[in-house]
Amino acid sequence: MSLEPETENTIREDVPDRPRGYVVGSAPDSIEREIGHDDFDPVGTLVLIFGYFLILVVMWVFMYFVEFLGRGMTVIG
Amino acid sequence: MATFVDRYAEEASVIKANLVVSFVALGIGAFFGLVQALHRTNYFRFIDSVDYYTVLTGHGVLLALVFTIFFLLGLFTWAVVQSLERPMPDIRLTWAWFGLTTTGATFVAIAILAGFMPSIDMSADVLYTFYAPLQAHPLFYVGLAMFIVGTWLAGADWFLAYRNWRGDNPDERIPLQTFMVLTTMLMWYLSTLGVAVSTVFFLIPWSFGIVETVNPLLTRTLFWFFGHPVVYFWLMPAYLMWYTVLPKLAGGRLFSDPLARVVFVLFLLLSTPVGIHHQYLDPGIAEGFKFIAMTNTMFLLLPSLLTAFTVVASVEHGARQRGGEGYLKWLGALPWRDPAFTGMALAGAMFAAGGFSGMINAGMNINYLIHNTLWVPGHFHLTVGTAVALTMMAGSYWLVPQLTGKRLYSRPIGLLQVVLWFVGMVLMSNAMHRAGLVGIPRRTAEPQYQSFDFTAVIGTVGELRAQIAIGGTLLFLSVVLFLFNILLSAFEEPIANPVDDRLPAPLSGASGSPLVLDDLRLWTGIAVVLVILAYTLPLAGIVGDAGFFGNVPGVPVWVSANAEAIVETLTEVIA
Repeated sequence: MSLEPETENTIREDVPDRPRGYVVGSAPDSIEREIGHDDFDPVGTLVLIFGYFLILVVMWVFMYFVEFLGRGMTVIG
Repeated sequence: MATFVDRYAEEASVIKANLVVSFVALGIGAFFGLVQALHRTNYFRFIDSVDYYTVLTGHGVLLALVFTIFFLLGLFTWAVVQSLERPMPDIRLTWAWFGLTTTGATFVAIAILAGFMPSIDMSADVLYTFYAPLQAHPLFYVGLAMFIVGTWLAGADWFLAYRNWRGDNPDERIPLQTFMVLTTMLMWYLSTLGVAVSTVFFLIPWSFGIVETVNPLLTRTLFWFFGHPVVYFWLMPAYLMWYTVLPKLAGGRLFSDPLARVVFVLFLLLSTPVGIHHQYLDPGIAEGFKFIAMTNTMFLLLPSLLTAFTVVASVEHGARQRGGEGYLKWLGALPWRDPAFTGMALAGAMFAAGGFSGMINAGMNINYLIHNTLWVPGHFHLTVGTAVALTMMAGSYWLVPQLTGKRLYSRPIGLLQVVLWFVGMVLMSNAMHRAGLVGIPRRTAEPQYQSFDFTAVIGTVGELRAQIAIGGTLLFLSVVLFLFNILLSAFEEPIANPVDDRLPAPLSGASGSPLVLDDLRLWTGIAVVLVILAYTLPLAGIVGDAGFFGNVPGVPVWVSANAEAIVETLTEVIA
């Protein structure tokens, strides 16, 4: 099943049995352009995931200082 | 265009029944959460500290087992029916497993709640993990066993539906949502063996007095054999919605069907042979076995990171189709007015934060810093408490109208509700993590010691307590708003299009994914081998040390009823 054409979406707004206002799940109604598999470059995802790893590294370094250098020796066994 | 209820009215009734049980448990469990947050922080106490453990057990069992799993039962039935595009094979079987799980869950709830009434000689203040030698009333274990068997029947029902579909479609790929349901259930069958053996062979006979003693390390290890995979049993319904519904809610399409299948196969393989990572501090299990569990756990980060990529890319696809541009500006093009989208997106963001603390928990050496502290509840309120719970509530705003044919009572209230949950959880979970680092313990009504004060590195313990109390209150308010919104939706007039329920096809479809991914027998076989490798020697060691039934008598937790007898037994056990 592929996305339905936008023309139909316009008609759907006039369906009497559709609640007024914003309908939950109706984001596809405001699609401006269809982007296929080969045209889609998820560069924004790359930025977010890179940010995630950056936080991870900073927290790892922070943990090393606070939890290991900041405390006495832990003796196990 | 008709929605789900118009096509599958009988199935919609069973799914609604499951959601009703789920939401009732959510209401009671959330109230208990509020009581705990205010009691522990000493802001408002109206129960005795002894009763705190009844509240804590109720909170854990009703939310972590009843709310989540009944929602799963409903969602998975919906997913199987709508992705196979056919009704359930025999609706009587579907009602039968609903009846069995509900009866089991009711028994468990009665056993726990009876703890509030000293006049009734029944209690189950054993907390969510029911570690022996703490002993609950037999009704607790019997109810638990019935509930588990009920979920097995539900899985059988879905497999039966799949088999019938396969008979008519011998050459087609398993539809993605059904694939997710089946792999999750295979994981569930494998992992619940642990808790089934623990309750049926050891805890039930022991609670009835048929056997005198128990081997606590054995039942504990069998619990965690099930206790870690169960977190994925909570999470997989959320994943199912993130993969198959969230992209649509964002106005996009799933980036890759094959990647989604790989993730679910990895969870089937890796969920179970990791349970010992909950027992890093348990004596009686050799360090080497714990190390193996840690290694397996770190591999589990892989499917979660794959999910982070696939789901975020699918959401980004929606934003770009809606006109989003730039490296980060596209985030503004997402449909933030939609409570179903916003709730799931915020839940995903919190899951990313839960990943940070999860990595700390999983590391054997770092785990020692936070083991049994408030850090741990801080962690799982991000994962099951938000990634799962908030996704389920947000998903309900989209799912429930399909089951009732009625519009959501209020979209703005829904939006306020999901944001309120996020804010409440930021406050509460952040404070819990920090309190854990300071060493404040979990699972206690009185986190204060005489002649000792916890000191926070940044801020004060008083400020942490305030955050927990305020956060807990906001979370409770959020649940109240959710339940009222869903309840009032039931009084709306049925209409043809209460919600936009179309699901677009993935950008990269199933046809491009390797056929071997659909070979469920192969993956089950490998999963079994991994479990045998990870668990045979530790279990043999535990049984070799103290036998199957051990030498520890029970400590019944009828605390208020016979306190003196408890103290006597406790002294015996400790001696």
